This record gives sequence, structure tokens and C-alpha cells, in this order.
Amino acid sequence: MANLTTCLTLFFLCYGLCSAVYEDQVGKFDWRQQYVGKVLFAHFDSHSQAAKKLILATDKNIVASLNSRTGELFWRHVDKVGPEGHIDTLLFHGQDAVVMAGNGRLLRSWESNIGALNWEMVLDTGSFQAAILAGTQDSVKFVAVLKKAVLSLHYLSNGHQKWVETLPDSDTVQYQAVYSSGGSQLFVLGVVPYSHLSIIAFNIEDGEIMSQRSVAAPWVSKVQARCGVVDQGVLLCVDATTLSLYMLPLNSEEPAELQQVPLQSLDLELASGYQPVLLTTQPNPARPPLAQFFLQLGPDHHVLLQLSDGLISPLRDFQPAFLVSFATAGEKTVAAVLSPKNETVSAKAGGVVAETVHPFLHFFLMHCFIVLLLDHAYDLQASSVSLYSADSGRRLLDTTVTVHLDPNGGKPEKLYVHAFLKKDDSVGYRLLVQMEDHTLTFLQQPGRVVWSREEALADVVTMEMVDLPLTGTQAELEGEFGKKADGLAAMVLKRLSSQLILLQAWIAHLWKLFYDARKPRSLVKNEVTIETLARDEFNLQKMIVMVTASGKLFGIDSKSGTVLWKHYLHDVQPNSVFKLMVQRTTAHFPHPPQCTLLIKDKETGLATLHVFNPIFGKKSHVTPPALSRPVLQSLLLPLMDQDYSKVLLLIDDEYKVTAFPSTKHVLQQLQEMASSIFFFLVDSSQGRLSGFRLRKARELSLTDLSTELIWEVVIPPEVQKIVAVKGKRASEHVHSQGRVMGDRSVLYKYLNPNLLAVVTESVDTHQERSFVGVFLIDGITGRIIHEAVQRKARGPIHLVHSENWVVYEYWNAKSRRNEFSVLELFEGTELYNSTVFSSLDRPHLPQVLQQSYIFPSSISTMEATLTEKGITSRHLLVGLPSGAILSLPKMFLDPRRPEVASEQSREENLIPYAPEMPIRTEWFINYNQSVSRVKGIYTAPSGLESTCLVVAYGLDIFQTRVYPSKQFDVLKDDYDYVLISSVLFGLFFATMISKRLAQVKLLNRAWR
Amino acid sequence: MASPGGHGGGAVSTRGGGGGGAGGGARRMKWALELSLGNTRRVTSALLHMTRGDRQSSQGDILYPIGYSDKAVPDTSVQEADRNLVEKRCWDVALGPLKQIPMNLFIMYMSGNTISIFPIMMVCMMAWRPIQALMSLSATFKLLESSSQQWLQGLVYLVGNLLGSALAIYKCQSMGLLPTHSSDWLAFIEPPQRMEIMGGGMVL
Repeated sequence: MANLTTCLTLFFLCYGLCSAVYEDQVGKFDWRQQYVGKVLFAHFDSHSQAAKKLILATDKNIVASLNSRTGELFWRHVDKVGPEGHIDTLLFHGQDAVVMAGNGRLLRSWESNIGALNWEMVLDTGSFQAAILAGTQDSVKFVAVLKKAVLSLHYLSNGHQKWVETLPDSDTVQYQAVYSSGGSQLFVLGVVPYSHLSIIAFNIEDGEIMSQRSVAAPWVSKVQARCGVVDQGVLLCVDATTLSLYMLPLNSEEPAELQQVPLQSLDLELASGYQPVLLTTQPNPARPPLAQFFLQLGPDHHVLLQLSDGLISPLRDFQPAFLVSFATAGEKTVAAVLSPKNETVSAKAGGVVAETVHPFLHFFLMHCFIVLLLDHAYDLQASSVSLYSADSGRRLLDTTVTVHLDPNGGKPEKLYVHAFLKKDDSVGYRLLVQMEDHTLTFLQQPGRVVWSREEALADVVTMEMVDLPLTGTQAELEGEFGKKADGLAAMVLKRLSSQLILLQAWIAHLWKLFYDARKPRSLVKNEVTIETLARDEFNLQKMIVMVTASGKLFGIDSKSGTVLWKHYLHDVQPNSVFKLMVQRTTAHFPHPPQCTLLIKDKETGLATLHVFNPIFGKKSHVTPPALSRPVLQSLLLPLMDQDYSKVLLLIDDEYKVTAFPSTKHVLQQLQEMASSIFFFLVDSSQGRLSGFRLRKARELSLTDLSTELIWEVVIPPEVQKIVAVKGKRASEHVHSQGRVMGDRSVLYKYLNPNLLAVVTESVDTHQERSFVGVFLIDGITGRIIHEAVQRKARGPIHLVHSENWVVYEYWNAKSRRNEFSVLELFEGTELYNSTVFSSLDRPHLPQVLQQSYIFPSSISTMEATLTEKGITSRHLLVGLPSGAILSLPKMFLDPRRPEVASEQSREENLIPYAPEMPIRTEWFINYNQSVSRVKGIYTAPSGLESTCLVVAYGLDIFQTRVYPSKQFDVLKDDYDYVLISSVLFGLFFATMISKRLAQVKLLNRAWR
Repeated sequence: MASPGGHGGGAVSTRGGGGGGAGGGARRMKWALELSLGNTRRVTSALLHMTRGDRQSSQGDILYPIGYSDKAVPDTSVQEADRNLVEKRCWDVALGPLKQIPMNLFIMYMSGNTISIFPIMMVCMMAWRPIQALMSLSATFKLLESSSQQWLQGLVYLVGNLLGSALAIYKCQSMGLLPTHSSDWLAFIEPPQRMEIMGGGMVL
């Protein structure tokens, strides 16, 4: 019976808490954007003009298909993170995309139309070298996979292994390439560095070794990018030390040595210190490769060469040209060359002659080379693309287009060309350009950008949400009150002028309404642009500032998800650490808002500051201080300078402090407050936590700010290592200072703003001896307030620290399950000091309560909701590996949940303790919009107390609003305004009428 | 008796030509005062008594001389029995609130401590009645003026009302409506001011 009551209570509680969306609310307040990451391999679906599929494999271990007309995803498969899911290669044939993943462990074939798995083969792990498609008699039938010591052949249709052969002398020879030209032989190319090349020919039918030979090559170091096969099986290698090309026919045994062709004899010169790169192409795996190939001689120097009758001859010189790429259209192959514009005058002059030749002539040729010259310049926005008919290196008519690429996106990194035959048999092309900032741009022939994808957003590192500025008129009014009074007359004038402006704006608005009303509805679009940005009534629309790992910054409108601005930082190292801070919000008109991004290079330790306006993305004119020493940490003070920007303190490795901005006013303030400014630094490698205080300068030179060490806690790194340290969010408000008990007394919360939660994991990972520790340390005194140790537990640990509670999640190694644990701190029934909080004057330790629960899923990340005043109850937002985001009421994670429900606990609305934590599908705030690989969840308060804005980022970005206590301050969507107002008016008129009637009646009675 | 009001049948007649055509339209007047009330009264007195009430009936009946009364004049001299009666009546007034207390207790017991519309209404009534009584205390005192034990009665009346309001307060207390607990003042506690500024984190 008791159980039944418990269940019923639980049910009713949950019923009251459920917050699922209605069908018509889908997409109303939320949006999701899906990304794939930086492209490693790309193939265009088919060679006809109508095809619109694009198969991609990316560095985020994703195989995806894009619609080349719109840039939208057809399908996407997300593999495991890290080397386990790393995509080694992507081969594409017909409708099948063959993917090698996990360093040669998994061979998969995907159906490219719908993304279904054709087949999957598990191979022996490790040492993947190369994979190619192989075929006989003009049809592609096999996939050949070369590993360090093994060559295996699989059927393309079902993945079954045809044969597998071990390679001879695999301990000395490094087999690096495999080649097939459609014949009965499969060649494997091995290298013994600086000694010889080893060439083995296998019979494609049974795997028998047909021939094996080694050729002396004392210059050879590796095969990849240095060697290639051209024409009818001629191996070509390039070497930088001897400045020569080497040739060897693979099929015949005849020449026992490589034939040397010095580059000088071809009038070619190698850029000093540059390793040349050879690029060949084999349009059809069942046919021999082309006789033409590219040789890269410098970072911006490419040459198109041709092998004919055993002789190498240059066809065309492209200098400067950054990238080259081949593509095929039917029987024709396209090569793309990418060059900066301002230096291409010479190359163009050569091309002009060729323009007179009609392209039709070239279609008699079996292979038509088209060279595409994409001129690019760093400063100039315009680039130009031309098609070159190769064989002779001539340019085709009407193929030159000028392309406008984002000048801010860095250099183009990769070029993929989709060439196709038009109806009149001329060659058309589209091209996919990947920029340094991971932008994918798809261009069509007239130079039109069809779409572009910001793939940098697949790896968001940190983000902030900034309030939008008021509209011009609102700001004008606000500014009026912000300024000092100049006297009565001036104030009146100012007021009149601002009223005039308001009137003007109102008339303009009316005019616009009138104008729009005349147009058909479909034409009226509410497009968000940077000019029309303005704060809405309840501050629900904000600017999302995102920092990505590639060093690109984005400004995204939180309502629609439109990228409003982007800024690429060119000099960011790949493994930099970022910290984003909002120094000035939009509240200080006319001062623009200001964000500061701290970028620290991991290698050198040096940091730079990028100061920008978060609304427009423009770099601020404020010059940040030069940081000559490595920066350890930063601290944003609530202190402001005259321009209302918060002071940022940066601590270097000598524990000296740099202030930004560092005006005299600020430095003076800092001197005054020095004794109450504290830092803490956590050195995870040495297990040391240390606290510092800003030291008052003795002499009058204010600029020299130093610190003094005041406490130190060492957690022995041999036993446990510190994995995370979390303080509370500075913007958090706690409305209620205590909790009301069943007997109506108050249990006061221990709200120490300086409290840190330090999480440690044991070094010993054995199941029986591993443990997880949570230390609550006061960041000012270094006092350990509480420590909790979870035995037989393991990370990864996800932690949320807010108000007076800490929630963490760990893996229970003994019971083999995920568990939540919650710590809550209370001062007791008396407040020690209700007016001020000082960590230095806290004689009593708080009472700590703890409870743990079983959670049925592992989690990816966790965050707590945040609201304006902190009145709304809190929810935990839990990102699950399945892609769902769970909104878990904090009520379930309450250490005061009683085992047996009593009268008092019922009075307090405490749910009786149940070890299992439920996951209800109606708690998923992203319903079916899964967010892959959630890395972080950001919460921001809105102007409505009930509403919290949520952004989940990872591979995808998802934005929504949550209402932890439902929308208690907003009328419902389906609120019946008509009924209410009609009732009101009806009552009003009824009152009027009855009043009149009553008067008449009174008068009548008086007459009687 | 040539006046047209004759067939109007009232002491004050606003309009003539209602029933008969004898008066004629040309000589119609707006109003007329009929001085010879007695004559008509006699004719229509039975009718008048039924329709107009007795206001007019008691008015100047000219059959009797002025100052004549057909009732016997009551004996106004104060008697001992009356005085006792007044005393008793005054005690009734003074003890009224106290008499209500058992009734109130019963209602209190029956309504329970849950907060819903009926118990709240009961409590409001219970609290409001003594307050009202206390506010109109001077009026009650005036009422008791005639009594010899005026002060004692007044005190009893006051105590009774105070007890009544105390009972109401007790009811409020037991229903949890009084802000007597620290939790009732929790919302007014301001968050404490922070004395130190702290920041930092893992070494970047």
C-alpha cells in the first residue's frame, strides 16, 4: 500500500513537471544545425549534369551525403570519436561508397542514395596503408586493401574476402602503395628507405605472386605523394635531392633500373627546400591511368606534364598556383589549379592564344584535360576560374569566371571539381572549395556561389550569449537619461528632439506596414540582418558568440540560427586554448559592447587577446596589452573603468598581474581593493592548488601589480589527479536564502560564492581500488569545507556546481552502472551573518547532505538552467550520448528525499527516495532532433523569469528555450483573448445598462 | 363640487378625463387641490384604504377635533419590573459575544485546518464580527447607559469580543495564516554582500 502511494505521488509530481512540446510548437522556438567537419575525402555522385549528390568523409569520423544544390544533408553517419572511428579512406564507385575506418579495422560499403549499409567486414586491426578499387575487363569488382604485411582483396558487391596474402619481407620493406590498371595483375609497391624499391605483382584471380623484383633507388624515402603510376603502367617518382624524375615500366622486366630524367632537362626548377609532389589520376579503376600528371615544384608552382613514347614533356606551367586537382566527366578528365590573382598575368597571357581554338576540336580526343585556373588573392575578393583544355594546355572558350570567395576565410585548402558534359557536349563544371577556416563553398559556372557551409561550427570550443542592443530610438531615449543634466532648457530641447525621433520612427514604421500590406504575403520576409537587430520585449533574442577550434568566430542570431557575422583569426595555432569573456554588455550606450578572447598557444604558452564587438564582429579599436610572458589564468573583475568595461586581470608565470584596460583610474581602484582580490590556480600535473592575493604596491608606481601566495593545497599526484575544478557562475542569482521545512522553520543554504568543487580521479584504475574524490574548497582561504570519496568509481566525471549544491555523475565500477550523486550544503537554522559574506570570517562548517541515484544512461555533458532572478526552480540539462538532451528536475536530485514519506516531508513536497532515476521521453527538450556528440550546453537567462535559453553544441548546434516551472509569467499561446475581452465588454455594457435601468426604476418609484 | 377632480377620486389629482366624459376636454386642468376631502373620503374611504395605504388615513381626519386621540394615554411612570427588564436586556447584550464562543469553537472544530474557501470564510466571519463589535463599542455603551451595572457590562462585552478575536487569531495560527515562522520572512532576506572577489581556474 505504501508503495502504491509512493508511486502515485511520484506519478502526480511527474505529471505536473512534464514539459514536452506540442506538435505545432515544433521548430517554433528551437532550431538545429547539423555539421560534418573538415572534409578529408569528397566524391561527386555521378558524371551527369543532373546529379546532385556529394559524398564526404571528414576528420570528425563522419560519412555524409550532401545535396549539391542546396548544401543540405541527405544522410550522415557518425562513427566513434578518436582513432577508433577515424576514416582512412573513402572510395566511390557507382552507388557504393566504400569506407575504411579505424586504421584498417572496418571495411564498410554504404549505399549512397539513402545511406544504408550494404555490407561491413571486420578486418585485422592496424597498420593500414592503402586501399584501391580494382577491376578486370573494364568493370570494377574488387577492393584491394594493403596493410603493413598483408594484402587482401574483397568483392565490391558483398565485401567477402576473395583472397588474402602475406607480403614477403614485410619486416624490412615498407609496403605503401597498391596499383591496378584493370589487367590481371595487382602491383604492390614497397620501399626500403634509401636503398631500393620492391615491386610485387599478384594475380588478381588467386593472389599468387607472379613476379617480384627490387630496383635500386638510393634516394627513395617514401612512396606516397612522391611516386605515381601513369600511362600504361609506368611508375614515376620524383626526388628532391637529385632533382630528377625517375621512370620504370611495371609490366615488363626489361629495364632493371629506373630511368633518370633531370628536372633541368625539362626546364623546371624546384623551389629551394621544397619536397616535390606528384599527382596522377586514374579516372576508371579498371583502366590504365592517364599519361598526364601534375608536378608541384613549390608552394605555388605546378606543372602539367605528359608522358608519351617514354618521353616526358611539360604541357603547361602554372605559376603561381596553389592547388591542383583532377576530376572526370564521362571520358574526360578535369584538373583544377588554384592561383592567386594579382600574380597570374603571365599565365593568362599564355592562355589567351588558346582561346581561339574551338573546344569542339578536343572532343575527338580520348582524354580531354581541362585545366581550371582559379585565381585567388589574399586581399582581393575576386578570384577567377578558367577551364583549360589540356593535352595541349589550352583554355576553353567561355569558361573563365570570376569568383568571389570570402576574403576573410584564409587560403583555399582543397579543391574538388565536378565536371560534366552538357547537352551540347561541351564541358561544364561545378567546384567545391574548402578554405583554411573549414568553409565549404560550392560554386557553379557563372561564378555564382550556390551554397556554403561553415564547417568550423562542427567544433565549437566556447561560447557566450550577449544581449542585443536596443533599437536606435530606444537607445536615444536611454542615452538621454544616462547623460548628465546640462540645465533645464537643454534638457527640454533634448527631450523634444528625442520625442521627434520617436515620432519619426513610428511614422516610418507605419509607412512600412502600409507598404508591406500591399505586397503579396509571400514576398514579405522577416529576414534578420545585422541592421535590423534589436532587443525584443522580453530579451529572448540574443547574439550567440561562438569560438571554434579552427580560430573562426561566429555571431549567430539565437532566434533563427542565421550566421550574422564571422571572423577568422589567421594566426591561431591548431591546439590553442580559448577563453571568452564579456567585458562590457550592451547596457552602456553609447559605448559599444566588448568581448575579449584570450587565445593561448599551448606550445609556446604565449597568449594574445582579441578584442571585438560581439554584435557586429568587428575588431575593437582598443589595443590590448602586449603579453610578453606566458599567461596562466585570467580573472574578470566586477570592477569597471570610466567606460564601463570590466577589468580583466591576467596572471603570468611569474605571478605578475597585467590589467586590461589599465587606465590610471582602474589602477587606483585596484590598489584600493587589492586586499580583497584573490586568485586561485590549479596545476593538475603537480596536483597543486594555490591561492594568491593581489599585493598593494608600496611605491607610487601603480603599474607594477604583483601577487602573494596565501595558501596551498597539494593533492598527491601519485595517488589521484585533478580532473576538473568548478566554481559558481558569476551571473547566478539565488532568490531564496533557505529552504522551508515541514515544520515551517528555515534551513539556511550555505551560499559561499568562493566555493570550488575540485574533482579528482585515482591514478590506479583497477576496478577494486579506483575511486573518485570531490573536494569542496574555499577559494580564498584554501580551507577544505568537505570531501566526498566515492570508492570503486571511475570517471569521466561530469559536474555541476550551483547555489548550494554540487551534482556529479560517475561510473560505478563495482555495480557497473552510472550514478548521480548530489551534495547539498546548509548553514543550519541560524544565519551566521545575513548582511555580508566573507570567507575569512566563517567559523562554522556547513552541514553537508549527500544522496546518490542510479542513472540508466551514460552522459556526455551536464549543465543547470539559469534564470534572471533565480526564482524559477532549477533543472539539470543532461546531454546523452544518444543525442537527446534531458531536462531533469533538480527536485529528483535532493539529498533530503526521505526513505519513508512523513507528514513533514509531504508538506515540503519531497519525493520519497527511489534509487532509480527515471528518464522520461517527454523530458527530452529536443524531441526527435538529436544533437550528435554534445560537447557542451550553455544556458543563459532571458528577460522572462520563467524562461531560460539553452544552446547545446557539439557536432550539431541546437537552440531552444526551457521553462523549468512552466510559463507562469506568460499567457498561454491558446489564451482566448476574444472570449475574455467580449466577456469584459459585455459585463461593462451590462453594468451601464442596468445602472440606467436602476435609475429609471428609482425615479419611477419616487414618483409614486 | 363642479371640479373635475371629482371623478379622479384622489386627494391630489394630476389628470382629469380618465373615466367619464362629463368634465370635458376644454376645462381640463393640470392639477387641483380638493379642499373638501371629507366628502369624497366618505364615499371612497374603503377604496382608499385598500389602495393608498394608511398614510392618508391617519392624516387629518376632520371628524375629530385637533388634539383628540381615541387611544388611551399609556402610563409613563417607571416601575420596578421594567427596571429589571432593562437590566436583563443589557446583560443579554453584554454577554452576547461570550455566548457565541462555544458556537464558534464548534464551527472551528468542524471546519478543520485545511486552507480552502469555506474555512477561510468562517475565519473571516469569526475575525470580523468581534472587530466590528469593538469598533462600534461606543454605540453599545450608549445602549447600556440605562443600566446600573453599565461598567461591568461594558467590560464583559469587551472581554467577550476580545476572546472572540483571540479565538479567530488562534484559528488563523492553527491554519498557518499568521507570519510567525522564520520561513514567512524568508523571501525578504537579501542575499549577503560579497566581501572578496575571487577568480582563476586550471592553469591554461
